[in-house]
Amino acid sequence: MSAFILRRLLQTVVVLILLSFVCYYMMSLMPGDPIDIMVSSNPKMTAEDVTRLKSLYGLDQPITVRYWHWLRDFSQGDFGYSRTYRIPVQEMIAPRLLNTLYLSALALTMALMIGIPLGVIAGLNPGSRFDYVANFFSYGGISLPSFWLGILLIIVFAVKLEWLPAGGTETIGANLSGWDAFVDRLKYLILPAISLMTLQAGVYLRFARSSMIEAMGNDFIRTAKAKGLSRFRVVWVHGFRNALIPLITVVSLSASAIFSGAIITETVFAYQGVGKLVFDSIVGNDFNMAMVSFMISIAMVLTMNLLADILYALADPRISYS
Amino acid sequence: MNNAESLQQQASAPQQALTMGQIIRAQFVQHRMALAGFWLLVLLILAALSAPLIGTVTGNDAESQSVFNRYLPPMSRVAMPRSQQDQALETFVTASEQRASALLEQLVAAQLTRATGQLPADDVLDFLDRRDAATPGQLQSLASAESLALLAVYAGFNKFHLLGTDELGRDVLMRLIYGTRVSMGVGLLVALASALVGVLVGSLAGFYGGWIDAVLMRITDSMLSLPILPLMIVFAAVELDKLPLLGTVLAGGNDSIAKLVIVLVMFSWMQAARLVRGSILSIREREFVLAARALGAKDSTIIASHIIPNVAAPLLVAVTLGVGNSILWEAALSFLGLGINPPTPSWGNMLNNAQEIIHEAPQLAVMPGLLIFITVICFNFVGDGLQDAIDPKSIRR
Repeated sequence: MSAFILRRLLQTVVVLILLSFVCYYMMSLMPGDPIDIMVSSNPKMTAEDVTRLKSLYGLDQPITVRYWHWLRDFSQGDFGYSRTYRIPVQEMIAPRLLNTLYLSALALTMALMIGIPLGVIAGLNPGSRFDYVANFFSYGGISLPSFWLGILLIIVFAVKLEWLPAGGTETIGANLSGWDAFVDRLKYLILPAISLMTLQAGVYLRFARSSMIEAMGNDFIRTAKAKGLSRFRVVWVHGFRNALIPLITVVSLSASAIFSGAIITETVFAYQGVGKLVFDSIVGNDFNMAMVSFMISIAMVLTMNLLADILYALADPRISYS
Repeated sequence: MNNAESLQQQASAPQQALTMGQIIRAQFVQHRMALAGFWLLVLLILAALSAPLIGTVTGNDAESQSVFNRYLPPMSRVAMPRSQQDQALETFVTASEQRASALLEQLVAAQLTRATGQLPADDVLDFLDRRDAATPGQLQSLASAESLALLAVYAGFNKFHLLGTDELGRDVLMRLIYGTRVSMGVGLLVALASALVGVLVGSLAGFYGGWIDAVLMRITDSMLSLPILPLMIVFAAVELDKLPLLGTVLAGGNDSIAKLVIVLVMFSWMQAARLVRGSILSIREREFVLAARALGAKDSTIIASHIIPNVAAPLLVAVTLGVGNSILWEAALSFLGLGINPPTPSWGNMLNNAQEIIHEAPQLAVMPGLLIFITVICFNFVGDGLQDAIDPKSIRR
């Protein structure tokens, strides 16, 4: 087991390094390095100054050398300055990460609480009217463009009904604390979380339904029923526990989908999370910020995937990774 | 002799595939939602294909803007201001002297106006200046090529916008229909192209095994586990023709559609690759392949008559589901402003500034998204129906 974890860990690190180079290379293809931008705001600068500055900051070096310098600094914890916000990248990242964590945790909880019970009930009565409706909802959730759902929610709940704010993270300048601050944050979280969770709820419903059907078809379920166990015990202890195994993988593998969704949702709702930061910094050519936010978010997703593999092995003793 | 017979049997395999097709069709038809989705998609594709025809019938197009008619609600009729009407008539009449004199002749013959000896165009314009509600009818009664062309100019004075107009005064219905072409086209193209890449990678890995398999599948698996959107944003934000290899492929320049298709294909071939590899690995070990091999079938025969039919069906399902996904990704990227560039309409970029206009015209934010939703759900239902239809375990007799 530990050998397996070690191998997967190593693999994750290799993928991360490769990706960081791809991202670095792509970003360097964007028009305009810092000196070019400096020149455009200061037309008196001569060509000699430009070459001197470029060699001073190492921008005349080949891409591989520049990448190596970046990687060295990054691994030592020097993330550099943000070009847009004029502050060290570290100071920016932590609060943004926390905001995204709140959003995705809420969305994940909602998706689990809606998708799994509905899926289990549908799976217990396949072919019933309830199953039909639940299936329809699951397809709806999978096919809904989350950004459009976000816009619809804004139109209905923010513009027409004026119940909830249309976007943002918290009431600016309110300086709330304790319970009030919590309620305030929650008000800003509800709409983005709904638009983020719909896809996942649909996916979980589908998987919960099919794995429940499969689990209930096992021989030991028939045995449990024949022993005269209560329906509750048969369904939840014998059936659901076995249906849970594939579900664990599906849920932990949804980290990447949730993060992709968070980028869109945070952009729609102007929610100050790391997803919006990734998008804004890549589009705005904020080099250091883009690299760091990109790397951290991808590292998080890959770690979740690694966790999924380990959890899977722990949940199902039949799986061995030797 | 045995060998030849077995080959003959194999040559008759396509007929078996046909009966399988019949089974699949009979199964598919029983899946009501899938059938409904299928016909809805056919309808949408027909509408997209006949976009120019619809444009001629409604007298609208996707491009012409009008500052005076922004944010019109659905079902609006718009009359052009008199001064613009005059201008349109003048450009029409003075465009060709021949046409003007022919028109004048006909008008004089019908005793609608008199020739005063000035330029024919001026005489016609004098007649048109006096126009009233009866004028189109009079032109209609002339029934000549010239008068009908003039009538067409008249028809342009009154426009009917079934779904209203957008922030530049363009007809929303026509933009949605042309957007269907773009979005559906991108979806189909991406799904087919990524299936092709997937088949290539999957069959290479499945056939050769060994280190080729190990390397290709490692790449496939790591790409599957990546969060796709940030990567797509990186690739979409950069001009791809600056990349050494892709630059030559994209020699056409910065065509945003081609670029979007490439970016989407880059991140959506993995499912198909895994599917094909898995099928090949499992089919390769089946008894009927062993039997065919024992009867002396060549590798190419085994591939053509055993492996391809067994891979094709699940691949078809994957492609169908892939179209829906690609449409969603296209819409998301275009919504973020990184996909298809305006003025080319696509469902995603029609929503691009939907947020700024939800107070003036919320319907503009609703309609394109509704189309995306309907299309994607239809593709998902059709894919699900196909899946059921080809799965031998679920065949209901």
